[in-house]
Amino acid sequence: MVKKSDVFVAISIAVFVLSLAYVTSLGGLGPLPPVDARKIAYAYLNLTYNPWQPFLTAFALESVTAIIWDFRGLDTLYETAVFYGAIIASIALYRGVKISLSKKEWSKLGLSPIAKTVTRLSFVLIPTVAASVALHGHLTPGGGFQAGSIATVVIVLAIIIFSRYFLPKHGVSKNRALLFRSIGLMGVGLTSIAILLAALALGTNAYIFQNQAKLNSPLSFPARVDDYTLGGSLLFFNLFEFIAVAFGFTIVFLLLSVSEEEVRKVVTRD
Amino acid sequence: MTNLALLTAYVIVISLYVNLGIALYGIFARPSLVKKLIAITILSDTANAFAVLVGYRWPREALPRPPVIPELPVTRSVLEEYMQSAVDPLPQALVLTAIVIGLAVTLFIAFITIQYYRLYGTVDVRKVRRK
Repeated sequence: MVKKSDVFVAISIAVFVLSLAYVTSLGGLGPLPPVDARKIAYAYLNLTYNPWQPFLTAFALESVTAIIWDFRGLDTLYETAVFYGAIIASIALYRGVKISLSKKEWSKLGLSPIAKTVTRLSFVLIPTVAASVALHGHLTPGGGFQAGSIATVVIVLAIIIFSRYFLPKHGVSKNRALLFRSIGLMGVGLTSIAILLAALALGTNAYIFQNQAKLNSPLSFPARVDDYTLGGSLLFFNLFEFIAVAFGFTIVFLLLSVSEEEVRKVVTRD
Repeated sequence: MTNLALLTAYVIVISLYVNLGIALYGIFARPSLVKKLIAITILSDTANAFAVLVGYRWPREALPRPPVIPELPVTRSVLEEYMQSAVDPLPQALVLTAIVIGLAVTLFIAFITIQYYRLYGTVDVRKVRRK
């Protein structure tokens, strides 16, 4: 027996989707795929690395990272704040729950020795890839968030392959992860006002989220060291965001791996 | 622009709309909170893919390239060629922001769903309403 409400929902979704599709077919999104980029896209592409406009450029090779941490840096700061808030809220749902250590012989838990050995190798390789993605974020596709996500694979692997007692036994605790995550976020905050602080000390003008020198504020992050392009503040932002995201996810997976019995004890107050 | 590019664009757009329909069905019609969560992630991914598609471009005289300058030192000709062939980086940057925020929201909903299960013993919204 089909209910009337189900039919209504199905018809309204179909009408909604079809009308959106009709608008697209009339050219609502412009020609697809577009031939020309928008003017603002040309502006961003032009200013990503432009030695002829030193007061406007970001001196990075990757436009997306330049937009994220320089041209629209404040957006990203607030986005990081949202992410921070969501994880704080998740921690709040688990308040009072302790991530306990096993009384049993934990090394006997988990998958086979073959899987464990391979995973031990990847414990070195995955953070290396993550660090390279973070440190090259201003040169090649990648950046702090992607690198943090890659690094968290280690945590997930450790929990699945070695059992959930492996991480607490090796000193990865929720509070410690929270500490490193806060350090990462403070780094992001400090990088955003570093030029401002330096300018206050030296008595010149500066902007928040300043990367390169502007017309009326002479200070800037180093754009190059010898032959290496640093991208100014982008390198630091990527590095700190990497730390913040990696440890933020670590907290999440530590919480998700807590024994259900222990959480229920706290939730139902038994 | 070749016919192949046009055909690809049509296939992508049509599949995105199918995805949109599936996601909305999941959010409105499925009673399970887990299914709703999955549908929300499909919806946000569809919207993100749309944004990237709008920022994509197929230049007249070159192949589209990612918005990354391929060589140093950057000369005027390198910059000119880059501007003529690179896709729009702004939607990609906005999508990255949207993914992070979407992920934060998804995480929170996942935790709330687990909490629902602990407190009510079910994630079916119809049964939760009766309790």
